[in-house]
Amino acid sequence: METFFQQLANGLTIGSMFALVALGYTMVYGVMRLINFAHGDMVAASAFVGLTVYTQVMGQASSLFAVIAIFMLTAGLMACVGVVLERVAYRPLRTAPRLSAVVSALGASLVIQNGIMLIWGPRMRIFPELVPQHYWHFGGVVISLIQVLILVISLVLMVALYLFIEKTRIGAAVRASSIDQDAARLMGINVNNIIALIFIIGSSLGAIGGLFIGLYYRGITFNMGWQYGLYAFIAAILGGIGNIPGAMLGGMLLGLFSAFISGYVSSTWADAFTFMLLIFILIVRPTGLLGERVAEKV
Amino acid sequence: MADNELILTNVTKRFGGLTAVDALSMKVSSGQIYGVIGPNGAGKTTVFNCITGIYKSEEGSVSWRGEEIRGMTPYQIVARGIVRTFQTIRLFSQMSVAENIMSGRHIKSSQGWWHGICPTPGSRRDEKENWMKVGELLEFFNLEEFAATPTMSLPYGHQRRVEMARALAVDPTLLILDEPAAGLNDNETAELVDTIFSIRQKGITVLLIEHDMELVMKVTDYLTVLNFGKKIAEGTPEEIQKNPLVIEAYLGSEDEDDE
Amino acid sequence: MKKLSIVSLLVFLLVMAILPHLLDPRWQTVAVTFLVFSVVALSQDIVLGKAGMFNMGQAMFFGMGAYVTAILNSHFGWPIMATIPVAIIAPVLVGIVLAAPIVHLRGDYLLVVTIGFNIVFVQVLINNLGGVTGGPNGIFGIDPLRLFGFELSSQVAIYYYAFAVLLLTLAIMINLDKSKVGRALHYLREDPLAAESIGINTRLYKIFAFGLGAGIAGLAGSVFATQYSAVSPEAFEFIQSVLFFSIVLVGGSSIPGVLIGVFVMFVLPEIFREFSTWRFFVFGFAMILTMILRPRGIWPATFGKIPKFLIKEPKNGG
Repeated sequence: METFFQQLANGLTIGSMFALVALGYTMVYGVMRLINFAHGDMVAASAFVGLTVYTQVMGQASSLFAVIAIFMLTAGLMACVGVVLERVAYRPLRTAPRLSAVVSALGASLVIQNGIMLIWGPRMRIFPELVPQHYWHFGGVVISLIQVLILVISLVLMVALYLFIEKTRIGAAVRASSIDQDAARLMGINVNNIIALIFIIGSSLGAIGGLFIGLYYRGITFNMGWQYGLYAFIAAILGGIGNIPGAMLGGMLLGLFSAFISGYVSSTWADAFTFMLLIFILIVRPTGLLGERVAEKV
Repeated sequence: MADNELILTNVTKRFGGLTAVDALSMKVSSGQIYGVIGPNGAGKTTVFNCITGIYKSEEGSVSWRGEEIRGMTPYQIVARGIVRTFQTIRLFSQMSVAENIMSGRHIKSSQGWWHGICPTPGSRRDEKENWMKVGELLEFFNLEEFAATPTMSLPYGHQRRVEMARALAVDPTLLILDEPAAGLNDNETAELVDTIFSIRQKGITVLLIEHDMELVMKVTDYLTVLNFGKKIAEGTPEEIQKNPLVIEAYLGSEDEDDE
Repeated sequence: MKKLSIVSLLVFLLVMAILPHLLDPRWQTVAVTFLVFSVVALSQDIVLGKAGMFNMGQAMFFGMGAYVTAILNSHFGWPIMATIPVAIIAPVLVGIVLAAPIVHLRGDYLLVVTIGFNIVFVQVLINNLGGVTGGPNGIFGIDPLRLFGFELSSQVAIYYYAFAVLLLTLAIMINLDKSKVGRALHYLREDPLAAESIGINTRLYKIFAFGLGAGIAGLAGSVFATQYSAVSPEAFEFIQSVLFFSIVLVGGSSIPGVLIGVFVMFVLPEIFREFSTWRFFVFGFAMILTMILRPRGIWPATFGKIPKFLIKEPKNGG
């Protein structure tokens, strides 16, 4: 029973990070029908940017204010990178064959990943301890302050995003653009702005996810983006691609799934089990758990 | 096998709560030119999709030469001699006209998969024979000069002809045409009438959907009229023209169409 | 255009035929690598370029061929020659079994699933499943290829072995385009529904493409294992699959395009070794730029491989 609750806590923590990253994938895919391969590397980059902001800008301060500032600065910076990425690598290819955009996305991924390596070096770096090491013990189950923070902040962000998408006019425009771009354009929606907005939201949520990864795992490497990115994309597929609540659900479920696999079966085969889950879901329910919301015509 | 008959019995196709085709029965006899007409959204294309295996109808039976073909995949149905064209032309747009027509020879070709790796004299001969057949069809449809042209760069009317040529390359017993005259000008429509008659001359049964009433009345032997997925009338063109239900359905719908 | 490609292919083959005698041993090794990776990239072209399936796991089949040769030779003492058929057939069978349940998936999903296969495959190798893969270090000391009593252990001999495999692959690619199955792959890439409606069993041909691609990649893997007389998991990581995937599309999924792609991706870095840390950074930009400037690739595949007698001049007054 202890293992169960321990893995439940771990799974929810990992799941929140997956969900945050998955949102970026699912929103971009929803509107552009493109796997933004660079997103995972942006997430990795934000951990490094956070590291540099901490050492260079904040002078290694870890007060509450400083931590909030690190998060805000990093998210803002990555949002700008996201918009530039879309402008440079994706917008010129919007009418090109779909595979061209996929290659461009792979290229962008290589650029960002190796950009990180060229700036911060190929070795693992240690992310600063921004949050005090505080633990609660419930019987044999240990829950850290970081875990609680990650879960709570992620949930708040996701609920906020959900309300924004479902309840505001701009949110409705985003939804309209993912159902049918052309019709949305005819209705007077500036799809370019919507796509830029999606990259801003996706990249900043991804940045927060990346900082959480740094806080939680501490060791950060330049090529970790692919792994987290892939998991997050799988989470988006599990929930139903293009579906925002789906990405949240998919992320959480995938986090729990991999935690329980590591806890009960073996961590060496966690990837194998995850992909088996993915294939199983795609065969049984190809549109994901909550259904797809994807522009049909491009 | 005696009769090349297509018999639909109580075919019903639903999409969620919407019944697109409702208990439709019809019988296409060998050698006929059979028309299915009806206002937009009447379920005509859905009927064709149910016959050709793109959809599987929930209920009813689709029988071809006495064999139940409901639930078969499209390529299995093509193998039984039923082939179709699409309302929105679906050609292999980057490929040449000749290659497009060659796709229809696929099921007639005797090549096995291994011939793609290692050709034999037999497979070369088969290849040659099928290209010859493509040459005949190019001639029949007056497309010879476009043999090497990618279909996406052809005008619409030509694309329609390529699509028909591709379907005929299968040597079908039943040819299904989904709005063959859509987008054609008057000249092209007149040519189409001739083409349809000469296809029948070859002993091929034709089943078509068409909005151009003039064309329908001119070419078809027998008609079924659909509205809201239900058959409201059937008969010869003369009978249909006099049928009050049909007139009402069309007049009613034209008002809505005007927008 | 058509003449140009035939001439350039002949020139290329001629140069390749005499190349090893002009190179020092280090460059001979590079040349063999070029040949082997060209074969893998062409096998990827069958699946991705011809059949249009987003396969991002081709390095797995490549690795499978390499490991089959390595395992059968080092653990079971098979001569290399005897391992080659198994190195082809095993990936074919695995390819068919894996492809069957997934080929109907939408492109992007297929891509993620094939990445998954590749990752699981490497995990299997690293975790030394069944105690035969040698774990993270792989397998060393694979015998050289013996043919009619000769030992083909020099780089030049291996070069010609790899060159023969490339020629075989090119022959298959060219035959494919002149056959029913090859055309079927093109049709189903262009429009699966139309292909199905004209009588093509698209699922069967998709699986065929996977199987054929896997078999050729497996053969390339066997050559690779012989070349280095060693195999290790990192050579078959899915990043390699990403590279093969990109090579095909950047090249334009034509034979010359794919060969240019392999040259740029694997030979150029050898020339500019001092910039090796910049390699992928530069390639990333190059990929974006190529796609923006030439969305269909550097040397796009052309269609219209139809017999001459069908091509007629426009009629007068017609």
